[in-house]
Amino acid sequence: MSNSSEATLAPPRGRSTSRYDTVRLAHGSGGKLTLELIEELFVATFSNEPLRELTDAAILANPGGRIAFATDSHTVKPAFFPGGDIGRLAVAGTINDLAVMGARPAYLSAAFLLEEGYDMEELERVVRSMKATADEAGVAIVAGDTKVLERGHGDGIFINTTGVGFLPDHVELGVAHVRPGDKVLVNGTLGDHGIAVMSRREGLDLAVELVSDVAPLNGLIDAVMQAAPGVRFMRDVTRGGLAAVANEVVLRQPFGLRVFDVAVPVHELVEQYSEMLGIDPMLSANEGKVLIIVAPEQAEAALGAMKAHPLGREAAIIGDIVRKPEGVALVETAYGSRRVLEMPIEEQLPRIC
Amino acid sequence: MPEVAAARSALPYDPATYKDPELVAQLRVRIARLADTIARPVKLMHICGTHEHEIGRYALRDLLPPSVSVLAGPGCPVCVCDNEYINLAIQLSLQPGVTVASFGDMLAVPGSIPLEGERRGDVRMSLLDARARGGDVRAVYSVFDAKKMAEANPEREVVFFSAGFETTVVAVAAMLRRGVPDNLSIIEANYYTPPATSLLPQLEGFDIEGFILPGHAVTITGLRVYDHLPALGIACASGGFEPVDVLASVASLLEQIEAGEPSVTNPYGRLVKWEGNERAKEELHEVFELAPMRWRGIAEIPASGYKLREPYWHASAARRFAGRLDPLALQGAEHPKGCRCAEVTLGQIRPNECGVFGTLCTPDSPYGPCMVSHEGTCRAWYAYGMHKESLRVELV
Repeated sequence: MSNSSEATLAPPRGRSTSRYDTVRLAHGSGGKLTLELIEELFVATFSNEPLRELTDAAILANPGGRIAFATDSHTVKPAFFPGGDIGRLAVAGTINDLAVMGARPAYLSAAFLLEEGYDMEELERVVRSMKATADEAGVAIVAGDTKVLERGHGDGIFINTTGVGFLPDHVELGVAHVRPGDKVLVNGTLGDHGIAVMSRREGLDLAVELVSDVAPLNGLIDAVMQAAPGVRFMRDVTRGGLAAVANEVVLRQPFGLRVFDVAVPVHELVEQYSEMLGIDPMLSANEGKVLIIVAPEQAEAALGAMKAHPLGREAAIIGDIVRKPEGVALVETAYGSRRVLEMPIEEQLPRIC
Repeated sequence: MPEVAAARSALPYDPATYKDPELVAQLRVRIARLADTIARPVKLMHICGTHEHEIGRYALRDLLPPSVSVLAGPGCPVCVCDNEYINLAIQLSLQPGVTVASFGDMLAVPGSIPLEGERRGDVRMSLLDARARGGDVRAVYSVFDAKKMAEANPEREVVFFSAGFETTVVAVAAMLRRGVPDNLSIIEANYYTPPATSLLPQLEGFDIEGFILPGHAVTITGLRVYDHLPALGIACASGGFEPVDVLASVASLLEQIEAGEPSVTNPYGRLVKWEGNERAKEELHEVFELAPMRWRGIAEIPASGYKLREPYWHASAARRFAGRLDPLALQGAEHPKGCRCAEVTLGQIRPNECGVFGTLCTPDSPYGPCMVSHEGTCRAWYAYGMHKESLRVELV
């Protein structure tokens, strides 16, 4: 497992390097054990100058101009799932929030809420996975915090990451720039993460050979912005799936968003399990997908840039912006019939029949 | 339709075949010709919630001629489940030491117990509301999950809310035959559809000429149980759930109507047999017997529900907890004030003709039962925008 391209797999199991097998309340007390955990695990793994100083705040270089700033808290069950874990999710999630604004993510902070008794070796795997993901994205984790909750008052592990990115002067993205005729693209198959995680939930235990798509997208987004400066709007497609993003785009806007059913890339296994469980891949979660709206004349250039990137090989133009109906996200079927693309309400659950 | 037949025999279980745009186009032409020949408005009805869901998902009503309408009948198990059973589940979940395990779709269905502190109107309590008030309510995917839960928690009583049609009750029967832990019981709320289809034609103003039979349920019951309908002048065709399946059923019904010879045909023959699934029926009838059942908002219909036979009464939650329940609180007005689910369920009005549709009653806060499940007619209409008069696209 020395191959760094396998960063999406959980690091191998091994004996914990800590004196303790599990997280103690004292690890969050601010005393000796806290310092030990910070130095031996976080500083040693995340390994960068600002962090090594152990100051109250990281002092960072400022290249000037605008900064993008985002935060996100993460909880996932199970914490390790096919294709990723909560650490990779927490790092990629905030990087993607920054990247879709057109910013270049640079620094992250990581705050851990751990339940007393949490397995130390598992924590180390999560932290190594965060480091691998940050390296993949060229981002440094420069500040952090650890709190330990009494046993029974937490759910194993929660991670909050906050990130800073630098926004190039010319970048202006937003729904306000979207126009009828624009094209809508995604960088690959939809619904993989939702089904991969669901496949490992208690009570379902599907033997699905499917992995989550969790990945930092700043590299891919950078390539698209270079190839197609006419990008109008981007958003990472996460919980609620394509349906949630499409509905957010058209909310109170003087245009609609049309998705062509047959153009939406869906992994064969996701298709099959969605059919079986009665759920819709367009409403299923993703953690490594971005929806991009681009001026029509640059759609092919954007598509080409995505397809040339490892995280965009199955990219596709899935729809367009229409003048009417206004404020509606709709699906055009293979038969030419049309329906509303439902705004998701709750987490999707398998139906009675 | 030789092309359809050929495609079926070549690839009997490939779902892509039944989504094929070319086959759909051929069926549309055939349906349009039949509608022209019939030359008057024709109303058809399906009686399965999944049909309404798929019709919405593929916007199949757009593909039919204006003279042919397909209405949703009493086919959503969540919608027809009488509020007595919902009230029973709520009461049990609030008893100390009792866990109620239910399919996810049943959790948000309001029964008839008023929700205290609600000011929006005649809002009723659901299992989710019971959970918020301290009730122990869990979502499960099948009865086997409930069994596991009972085994893992021997000190608790686990009650499985057995709602649905044959597709769910057969699994319950199979499990009970093989033995269950003493601390597991079931709420008997399973429905049998054929008697309800005999009742519908007796309703005033009933003008449905054909039924698309529920594909999942008839896989088990078979088609013979519907052979009384042609004598009442009603055409019948089994119905699968892909676009090609649904349109093939519509075409088959129109052919019967055009010829003036109603019968029971089997366009979903790749799964459905005339006698159904013999083994499943055997297990089902060993554990359950048909009994009178109340269909929410419709009526009590003789022999239209499954109740446990005497040797299995030990697993009946209603019997086990009889002494601990408030029988009066189990009764109550079927639907809240202003809710027109009863008429929606019978195909008498469209969901958007109800005054609370989309205002007081939405999927995130359902007022009546048809807005809860994805199979509920109101929910499907709301989610897929079937109430929107036009989704006509203008590009620029």
